[in-house]
Amino acid sequence: MRPEIKEYNYDWLMGHAVAAAAKVPAGMQKETELTLRYIPNFRGVAESFINAGPPGIQFMGLLAKYYENILAARDQGKMIVGTTFCNTPAILYAMDIVPATFEVLTAIGCLIWKRGMFDYMDYCCEVGMPETSCSSQRGFLGAYLAGLCEKIDFVICDTPGVCDTNANAFAFASAYLDKPFFQLNYPSSIGDDRSQTYHIDDYKAMIRFIEKQCGKKLDYDRLAEILKEIDKQDALTADMEDMLMLVPTPIPPIFNVIIYASRFCFAGHKIYTEILETMVETSKQRVAAGVPGSASGEEKLRAFMCYIDHYTVDMNFYDYLEERGVAHTGSILTRNFRDDNKYVQDLEGSSYGIDTSTPDAMLDSIAQMNARYPMVRSIRGPYDKHGMWLEESLALAKMYNADCILYNGTPGCRNTWGMIKPFARDMEKYGYPTHIMNDDAFDDRVESWDATKERLDEFFHVRGLL
Amino acid sequence: MKIFNDAATQVQCESITQWKKEGKPVVGYTCSYAPAEIFYAADILPVRLRGIETEGMEVADTYFGPFICSFPKCILQLAGKGKFSFLDGAIITPGCDGMRRLDECWRKAGEDFDGIVPDYFYYFDVPHKSENHGMAWYIEEVKELIKSLENHFNVSITNEKLKTAIKVFNKGRRILKEIEDLRGKDDVVVSGTDVFAATVAGTVIPRDEYTKELKKWATALKKRKTSLSKEKKRVMLVGSVSDEIDLFQLIENTDKAIIVGENLCFGIRYQGNEISEDGDPLESLAAHYLGASVCPRMFGKYKERLKILKDRIDHTKAEGVIMQNIRFCDLHGAENALFERDLEAIGIPCLRVEREYGPHIDAGRMKLRINAFLERIDAKSDQKSTEPLSVSA
Repeated sequence: MRPEIKEYNYDWLMGHAVAAAAKVPAGMQKETELTLRYIPNFRGVAESFINAGPPGIQFMGLLAKYYENILAARDQGKMIVGTTFCNTPAILYAMDIVPATFEVLTAIGCLIWKRGMFDYMDYCCEVGMPETSCSSQRGFLGAYLAGLCEKIDFVICDTPGVCDTNANAFAFASAYLDKPFFQLNYPSSIGDDRSQTYHIDDYKAMIRFIEKQCGKKLDYDRLAEILKEIDKQDALTADMEDMLMLVPTPIPPIFNVIIYASRFCFAGHKIYTEILETMVETSKQRVAAGVPGSASGEEKLRAFMCYIDHYTVDMNFYDYLEERGVAHTGSILTRNFRDDNKYVQDLEGSSYGIDTSTPDAMLDSIAQMNARYPMVRSIRGPYDKHGMWLEESLALAKMYNADCILYNGTPGCRNTWGMIKPFARDMEKYGYPTHIMNDDAFDDRVESWDATKERLDEFFHVRGLL
Repeated sequence: MKIFNDAATQVQCESITQWKKEGKPVVGYTCSYAPAEIFYAADILPVRLRGIETEGMEVADTYFGPFICSFPKCILQLAGKGKFSFLDGAIITPGCDGMRRLDECWRKAGEDFDGIVPDYFYYFDVPHKSENHGMAWYIEEVKELIKSLENHFNVSITNEKLKTAIKVFNKGRRILKEIEDLRGKDDVVVSGTDVFAATVAGTVIPRDEYTKELKKWATALKKRKTSLSKEKKRVMLVGSVSDEIDLFQLIENTDKAIIVGENLCFGIRYQGNEISEDGDPLESLAAHYLGASVCPRMFGKYKERLKILKDRIDHTKAEGVIMQNIRFCDLHGAENALFERDLEAIGIPCLRVEREYGPHIDAGRMKLRINAFLERIDAKSDQKSTEPLSVSA
């Protein structure tokens, strides 16, 4: 790593940039416009969120709060845990632990920092991680391994059996820095009694591990409060999902990332509930006015992202969809798979419920919820088996009236790259034009955004979609 | 030794052909987590699937994406080319992301290439942890596998037969351990290439025949007097899955090194430990195959694996460790880096090298790096010998 990069504490740098950005829209319109001129490197991303209206502005505040929590943890006597996006932070918040979610932190860096997370990604390779490992962890992890972040007390991941590359990054971090490590592990099936029991046993083991690290017991009253808040959030998300089914949808592409990134950061916290409430309200107003979510005012095409979105510099991907009038009908990350959602009706065993009546019921609920987090839910087993990627994608593409399927991931995703070709072929057989994006969602050096954009345009043109 | 070499260097060796002639079934498996004993108990020949003899990648590249390790790709390529036509069954295990995707890629290839998917095609779901519920899951999986084999092949796998199988396999393990002990002596009488070939052969040849041949070979080895280790550097080979005899030859043909131990999926680490012959055979199998696993897929057990490696280094008196990982093998790639850091810190020279599985098209590059590494060990030895003796207080 270049010495000048090491001169800045990464958490402090990003935390303060995000905090400052969150204040930009607080002034008069003229003040905001003037401020944007002074932050040319951050303007793209800040403007995209400001233009998204109140939910976008609230989301900037949420990111600022997320960093504030990390930066203030030590002074407040709280522990910090390194964890992954597909592990709900609910249990951590119930134990007053601050989550540092590697993928979220990498994505924030990718979106905001003009030169991307390249220096940090490369640092991981300098200390021995293979360059072929997933970039979604390598960004933040590089900064962390270089000692440029707040110290993490222990590491938890829930991807063994789901995405070994992901799990490997966390195992590496733990071994490299000699931090305690716990893995939640997932069998290849979902919804059957045997795997349900396994989830609960595993989750209970994780709680014992956390209690040991913290030296205190889980506060079930606090957990109940958090689960009740998640219950509200799930209902609001279901409202959003329902409106996403409308043609045209009142939901702009950028709302998708706000829904899931906020969930990964603050599931069970009021700050996330408030954003969802604003999004629901904004979207309902659009429905009433008959206005599509797209800024162009026209919905020309409905795309279903069968995996993840694209997060490199600024909000390029979301802006591109807006410009082309392409509705984003969600990705693997967007949906929560709560039991009363419309889309789970035909997907037996794929959903979870929340029961706060007893401590055991709460643990069962949260274990089942966690087992249905993105990725953990649908790519743990063979893609064409019950409840897995193909079945889920087909059901969602149909329900959300998708015109085409877009796959986007990272070259580090051994799991999806191991099956994407047969998957895409099957989707085509079912009548969905499917495009495999060859970029890295977090690293523009793999394929420049311009090249990615051109390939998308080519796909839409050749398949007669746009 | 010829029988071992043949078995280790051919996808369908003579033993498999003979077995098929007797009308008995052969089942292939992809990973060391599948207990071979249960096949023995059913009079089925278990054959560990391998990717040797691959001459192209056009079939594999049709189904796998570009960022996948070449080991599962080579297996799929061979399947697509009909090289596994002798299989009556195949068992896929989630050893890693690439290996578990072999399940759907092979099945899907079967839609395009007639007859390449064996009638019996089974997904054996191995957990990533060996704590109570992980162990219970694994035992349940073994029970399911047994039931499925019984139904498909019309066989009966009883606890008694499993106990017998464990005893038979243990015999071979004990002999391998004796051979392993020979490699730890100052004068090593057997090359790493030969030991590895004999070990790989154990994953292919019918067990009774294998044990008999191994016994003969071990007896002969014990009588050998000629040291093969004189003037040679003693090295260990660790890392990604390898069944490639030519990789061993590449190192030993430098005439500067002898491989005195390996920590590879096909190597002694798998065959070396005995399985308990007392108690419930399923629990014994689980304790061995899952509980004693040293594969980095068992996340969070780095320290245990480092200790095992250090013990092996001590036992074999290895002077250096060659760590290889197949490109896109993140698990071994990352762990090799940690091993390198921790072993170098205690003065054990390490070479970390990335490579492709299959045809050794980059043998020149590998040879260059191995030679440079051996020179480095040489230089270190020279330095040690010229250093003044330390005098304890």
